[in-house]
Amino acid sequence: MMRRLRQYLAVYGKFLSTCFAAASTYRLHFVLLIVMDQLFYFSLLGSVDFIFDQVPVIGPWSRDHFMFFIAFMLAVDHLHMTFVSESFWEFSYDLRTGRLDFILLRPLNTLFTIFARLIRPATMVNVVTPWAFLIHFGLALDLQASAWFFLLPLVVLALLLLTSIEILLSMLMFWTVESFGINFLRMQLQTVSRWPDFIYPTWSKRIFTLVIPILLVGSAPVRFLFDPTQWIGVMAMLVALGVTWILIAFVWRLGLRSYESASS
Amino acid sequence: MPELSKWMATVRISWSKHLAYKLNFVLLVIGPTLVFFFVKFSLWKAIFSLEGVTTLQGYDLRRMLNYQAWTLLVGLLAQGYNSMNLAEDIRLGRISAYLVYPFGFWPFQTASFLAFQGLQLLVSAVTLLLLVVGGLLSGWSWPALLEGFVFSLLVGFFWYQISFLIGLAAFWLEETWVLRVMFVTIAQFLSGAMMPLEVFPVWLESILQWSPFPYLTYVPAKMFMGEYSGSFAVAALILGLWLAVVSLGVNWVWRRGLRLYTAAGM
Repeated sequence: MMRRLRQYLAVYGKFLSTCFAAASTYRLHFVLLIVMDQLFYFSLLGSVDFIFDQVPVIGPWSRDHFMFFIAFMLAVDHLHMTFVSESFWEFSYDLRTGRLDFILLRPLNTLFTIFARLIRPATMVNVVTPWAFLIHFGLALDLQASAWFFLLPLVVLALLLLTSIEILLSMLMFWTVESFGINFLRMQLQTVSRWPDFIYPTWSKRIFTLVIPILLVGSAPVRFLFDPTQWIGVMAMLVALGVTWILIAFVWRLGLRSYESASS
Repeated sequence: MPELSKWMATVRISWSKHLAYKLNFVLLVIGPTLVFFFVKFSLWKAIFSLEGVTTLQGYDLRRMLNYQAWTLLVGLLAQGYNSMNLAEDIRLGRISAYLVYPFGFWPFQTASFLAFQGLQLLVSAVTLLLLVVGGLLSGWSWPALLEGFVFSLLVGFFWYQISFLIGLAAFWLEETWVLRVMFVTIAQFLSGAMMPLEVFPVWLESILQWSPFPYLTYVPAKMFMGEYSGSFAVAALILGLWLAVVSLGVNWVWRRGLRLYTAAGM
């Protein structure tokens, strides 16, 4: 077990060094990626800030609560952009061109190779922005010590759930000829998850919590951080994570059976 | 006349290409605009209903949802994803063919954009019908509708030219999608796509008047609502001037870029 873990860590180390080498080749692209993320962060935070110039509260949350939620989602988004986002685009390319053949032949877990191999070093630099806002609004809300303790694990759990839902969704690419649209659908789900669940009508809240649990990604952990008695949402996240991975295992096998290996 | 037939043939081929993968077209072109509308619609409904707010900068709930519904239509009509693969064409040397064809690269891309715009018109017409039947659009008039449509088409052309200009950056950059995402992010934030400009701080609203951003969503949405306080002709002239600036930029960048072009992949 330990030997296997070490092997995967060594492979991930190679993925990292390759991505750093590639990123250092295209320096202007590197800088533009940083600017792009910063623009996204500030446009989202700015939009919420402008709305709160007009109203004191939205639903149960004040400006600080809402901004903390947005900063939490930006922290998840930052990790997502850094460690997994590029892989989804590459996966569609692998399927279309038949490059998946070579990945399937490697003596490594195929899903690990597909979804962990591309890292975006430029985005790492942006870690400061979401976390500075997260800490700032956490302090303003006077979060309990336990909330600070759980903050990072919950950001990681939210990332795991978001990524798992996206992996499951991306399996649809096996059955589409042009899979660019699936990636856009995945991004639309991210957009939905970036706002707290109470803004949505009941029917859509149910769908996006029970069927495609994308609203659990942000709302459940942030509620728990505000009030530790609301742990049920975090439990629901863990259940959703388990169910999603059972579905991924099933759909992945189905998908491989449909895969036509374009290049061979 | 032969020139026109080339344009028509390209429009026809592009129309078929856009519709070749229908699910992809729906997810790529209609999906993002609809989801963005769904989020905004839910957010503003929550703001008004949860807090008992009756008016916000002159907007009551009905008027705000009306505004959001018109921005959905503007988004469909004017903010397409055409010429998304332009950078790849340049990078992989595919534009070489257009340099020898009797039909240039810009006319080819523009004809493709016209085909796309035709599809968008159809999608918008269906959406408009659904919005009216669903009771989300109230108090509209034919003159306002016509004014809004014409202006949105102008915005669509401006958006296309910007996309084309960004694509041409591939002569220098390995990837240009970053520039496109940056432009869309800024435009969505500053054009009034998320919220009407009246909700913005006064200082920012004043600065924006000197930029093309309000003309990309806020102005056409207000025209559709029949509430645009300025003159249509002046708004069209201002956007036309911005369009001229971008078009000059396209021309300049294209000529400079061709000097660097190595026809990789040939």
